[in-house]
This record gives sequence, structure tokens and C-alpha cells, in this order.
Amino acid sequence: MLAERLEDEPDTARDAPAPAASVRSLSKSFKGVRVLEDVSFDVAEGEALVLLGASGSGKTTILRVIAGLERPDTGNVVLHGRDVTELPARERGVGVIFQSYALFPRMTVEQNVGYGLRIRGRKRRERREKVESLLELVHLLDQRKKLPSQLSGGQQQRVAIARTLAYEPQMLLFDEPFGALDAQIRVRLRREIRALLRDINVPALFITHDQEEALELGDRIAVLHQGHLEQIGTPQEVYNRPETEYVATFLGAANLLLGVVARDNRVELGTVAVEAGAEAARFHVGQPVKLVFRPEDVRVSRPGGELPADCNPLANGVVEEKHFVGAYERLNIRLDLVARAPRPGEPPLYEISETPERRLGVPVIITRTKSEASAKPLRVGERVTLCLTTFRVLPNFPLASERGGRVLDTQK
Amino acid sequence: MSTAISAMRHVRGFDPTKPFGLGMVILLMLPLVLLPLASIFIFGTSSGLRSFWAALTAPDAVFALKLSVVTSFYATLFNVLFGLLAAYVLSRYTFFGRTAIIVTISLPTAIPTAVAGFALLLLWGKYGMIGRFISEDHQLMFTPYAIILANIFVTFPLAFGVLMSVFETMDKSLEEASATIGATRWQTFWHVTLPSLRGAIVTGALLTFARAIGEFGSTILVSGNLAGSTQTAPLYIFAKFNEGQVEAANAVAIILALFSFAIFSILFFARDWIEGK
Repeated sequence: MLAERLEDEPDTARDAPAPAASVRSLSKSFKGVRVLEDVSFDVAEGEALVLLGASGSGKTTILRVIAGLERPDTGNVVLHGRDVTELPARERGVGVIFQSYALFPRMTVEQNVGYGLRIRGRKRRERREKVESLLELVHLLDQRKKLPSQLSGGQQQRVAIARTLAYEPQMLLFDEPFGALDAQIRVRLRREIRALLRDINVPALFITHDQEEALELGDRIAVLHQGHLEQIGTPQEVYNRPETEYVATFLGAANLLLGVVARDNRVELGTVAVEAGAEAARFHVGQPVKLVFRPEDVRVSRPGGELPADCNPLANGVVEEKHFVGAYERLNIRLDLVARAPRPGEPPLYEISETPERRLGVPVIITRTKSEASAKPLRVGERVTLCLTTFRVLPNFPLASERGGRVLDTQK
Repeated sequence: MSTAISAMRHVRGFDPTKPFGLGMVILLMLPLVLLPLASIFIFGTSSGLRSFWAALTAPDAVFALKLSVVTSFYATLFNVLFGLLAAYVLSRYTFFGRTAIIVTISLPTAIPTAVAGFALLLLWGKYGMIGRFISEDHQLMFTPYAIILANIFVTFPLAFGVLMSVFETMDKSLEEASATIGATRWQTFWHVTLPSLRGAIVTGALLTFARAIGEFGSTILVSGNLAGSTQTAPLYIFAKFNEGQVEAANAVAIILALFSFAIFSILFFARDWIEGK
């Protein structure tokens, strides 16, 4: 059946430009522990892909495998159409910017940058010209005679980038590039790097555990969890249309309501039913699912009040807590749903099962912008009605790997 | 240091610990270290610089000092080169028996030097396990080569220990970066690893040299102690003292003491340079 599906798929590979890099079903174990399980993805020419995951998700191992510093148990690494899986690191022409930058401490800035040309036996003059133009590109020309220890963290990082650009790498790999820097500098530097990458048009792979960084840096984001690729897509896709519960909760905040798919594309949440349209159409009637929505995708009003037209009615509830959090207002609202008790064998309903007030309803968190909050002020204890502008219906399994052999096509 | 001082702040008024404790330390150091060293110099110059110079320039004394320097130099050279090799292999690769090799290499530190010399004799001596197969003309024991061998045996763990600890604490990403940039293993070693080891190499070499030039226990067993042929400086001091020529012994002792002062000063005052700061 799988083979049939593959044949039916249009042959896009031949029409689309060949990817700059692709990783094909990588697997790797360390001392019997699986750190990568069948990971595949492509990086297009000039694209920045971010591998996002918590520590232990295997993201650094992927980087090291691509760089040639680690050998995969199975799978291939293809760079510009050439299988490099068996090549040693030095023959791959990949630029790695290490978390510690790994600048050579006894060499000056220009010696560091020129190192790749020096070991390639380039002439002194050619080397000097290239180094000069690269240092100009990263705005470090006046620091050329300094030792790395005399530079700030951000400057060291730029030296590390220039050092890899000197030998015109096929791809740049950034290992937690901003991990060692202050929060304020981080934001500035990642914009700088983003602009630099756009200038030089070299495909790049970033490794990070910081979701904000991922959203800002990546043309696409690949979310990893325990060696599995959970989802890959543009920042908008991954944030707005998470395919798994893990992705929904790892990237930003999300409310999860356990429910069951009912007839007419509705999702039953305890005592209410939500019109879910195409979202619900992907599931069988009776299948346990989770309704997932972000705190900012909820609109609130007093019962009987005006709600936007394109907003999907959810339920009524009571404002339990109200917090002012600077840029926005956060409301804890308890919905008047009678939570459905988990069926035997079902995973625990972590949002609702253990609360002592369970019989009273289901808590959700919503946020409102300042203008909204001041236009329609709400008090604690007030009754409200809620609707959703955007939401997802996801199978009641937190991870992609648990999707039961991927019978379910969430792309539909 | 500063924490120790601030910890003392709560003591109000006169704190007797400081002058009393410091006095104790100085009183102990005086007879243990300072006076013996001072006596060499006092005695050496007591009968005039002329006789000191005569004692020092006696042919056997000059030869003994030269022999010590030359044998120590070769031992140092060997220790640095093979210490580098051993530390590189043992820190960069993991294999079965790695720890056993490290322990074996470091073992001579714990062996009395006389035992070391004796062991070498049993192995390489004329009737030793290997020595018996070597022809009369190529015997190793009781030649300067035996002295070098004994020096290496005794001092190798010093150089190895210094180099190994630096290898193990070295940031591995430097070598990885060099590899991804396109350097071969040899280029990486030459351009990246070795410069980071500069301090360790100098320290290891100085420690080896200082230890080798004063080596007595093993040398006296394997060298044969022939004046003007296989007698090193420490052996010369011992021999002259036994013959009652205290002045002759003392002259060479002064030179050895100055040597060790010089090496110690380099290690102590040039630490920043050695560590590349």
C-alpha cells in the first residue's frame, strides 16, 4: 500500500531544484541508546533550516553527522548531489560554527580567517586579499591583529563565520550559535547573521533549543524530539498548524482539550460540541482527539455580547484569574465543560485530570492585547463566552512516532 | 586568598594566629631548607674563590658536569617526543587496555630509583635477560647510554603526566574545527594541537631535565661510576665526599644547586608565558 502511495505521488523531485543538502533516514545509537531514528530532511539552496529541540533530542548529533565528525549507523548525507557519508570531515567543505567558536587561541584574527586558505596552499597575496574582504564583510577589519581572547563573544563569532567562509563552504552549520551570549546581544546578532546569510546565499543549518530564535532565524523549522523528526515546515506552518501535541506545546503555549470526534465534523468536548470542519474531517467518528489552540487565538465577550463572525464558538466560562503581563493581559478561564473521564488505557488528560475542581470545568489560559483588554475590561468572577479564531484537532497522541504507523495523514 | 582574609574579619582586636603561625613556618623552614642550602654556598666560598674555581675546573669535575648535562638532555629529548606521542595516542583513542598502559607508564614514579637501576641491570647487564645476547663490544650497562636509559626510566612519567593532563583538558572542538576547515590530521597537530601544548612541553622538559640532572640512585647502579668516563655530577659529589675532598664535592654541588634554582625560577616566574597568557 505504501509503494502504491509512493507511485501515485507526482514526481516533484525532478522538477524542483536539487537540494543543497539532504539527510536520508539517519539513525544513530550511542552505547545502545537511540539518539537518532530515521531522520530525513532537505535543505534548499540558500535556505536557513533550524533544528529545534530540547537537549537530548539528537539535534547536535545530526549536525556532527553532516559535518563528518560523527558516523551514522545507517542513512546518508548528500551535499549538492554528492553522497559524502563516507568522506572524512576535512573533505566535505562544510563550515561549522561551534558553540565555543573554537577559534585557534594562538593565532590572530587574520591568521584564523586565513587558515583554510593556508592549508590549501594558496599564495600569500591571494590569502591576504581574501582575508581582508572577509573581515570587511563581518566588520572586523580593524581587529585583524588581535588574538581571539581580546575580542567580545559576538566578535569571536563573526571571526568564526569568516573563517569558514574563506574556503567557500557548501553549507554552514551553526551549533547553538547564541548559547554563550547575553540575551540582549543575542537578538541583535541573530538579525546580523540572518542579514549576512542573505548576502552570501549559502545554505545554513542552525541548532537551537530556543523557540523564539528558531522562529526568527529559520526559513523552515524542523522540530526534533528524542531522535524523531516531529514536524518540518515554515515558522508559520509549525506555529499555526502544529501536527503533533509535542510541537504545539514546545513552540509557544497551547491549550489542549480532550474530546471525541462526533458526526457532522464536530468535536465533542464534554457537554459542548465545536464545529471543526476540515480539521475534524481527517478523523473517524468516535476517535479520541485533542482540540489545540493558542492563548492568543481566543476571543472573549460577556454572554450575549458581540463575537466576531468568523470565530468558532467554544463554550462559556468564568474568569478565575487576571494577570497583567506587560504587553498583554493573561486570563485564566474555567470553561463550563464537564470533562470527560479518560477511557481505560488512554493517556492521562494532563490539562484537566488531576485538578480537584475537575467536576467544575476545564481551565484554559487566554491572552488579550492591551487594546482589547481596555476596550472590553473583564473582572475576576465574571461570566464570559469564548470563541476560537484558529485551532487544530490532533490525534490523542503527543508524538508523531506514536501515530500508529502513520496511518493518519495529517497533511490532508 | 581573599576569602581566607575575609573569613578572618570577624575576629576583633589582636589576632595572634598570624604572627605566631607565620613564625612557626619560618622557624621550620630555616633548618629544613634554607640553612642546608646556605651552608653549601658559605662553605664553598669560605676558602676563597680561587680554590673554589680550582675545584670546579678539575678535569673530572668538568667531565662529570658535562656528562650530566648531556645525558639529561638526551633523556629530556626522548621524553618530550615520546611523551607527546604517548599522550596523543592515549588521549585521542579509546581501546581495550588503555588504562593499563597509562598505569604502567606512570608506575616508575612509585618505584625507588635504586630498584629501577637494579632492574635495568638485571635486564641489560652482561648476564641479564637481554644483555646476555649482546656481544661484549655492544654492552649497554656501565656506559653513558645506561645513564640515559636510567634517566628515561625514572623521569618519563613526569613529562608524560604533564602532557597527558593538557591533552585531556584540551578543547576538542579546536581540533574538530581544524578538520572541518580542511586540515589533515598532521596539519591539525602541527598548527593547532602543538601550539596549545607549548607550555606543557616546556614544563615537561624542564621537570625532566631537573630530575635527570640530579638522579643518583639508579645512575650509581647502572653507570659503573668511573671518574672521567661514566661519573655524573651527583656521583662525583658522592665519590669526592667519600674520599674526604669536601671542597671538590662542594664546588660541583653549588653548580647543581644553581641549576635547579634556575629551572625552578623559570617554572615559577615564566608561568604566564608558558601557559600562553
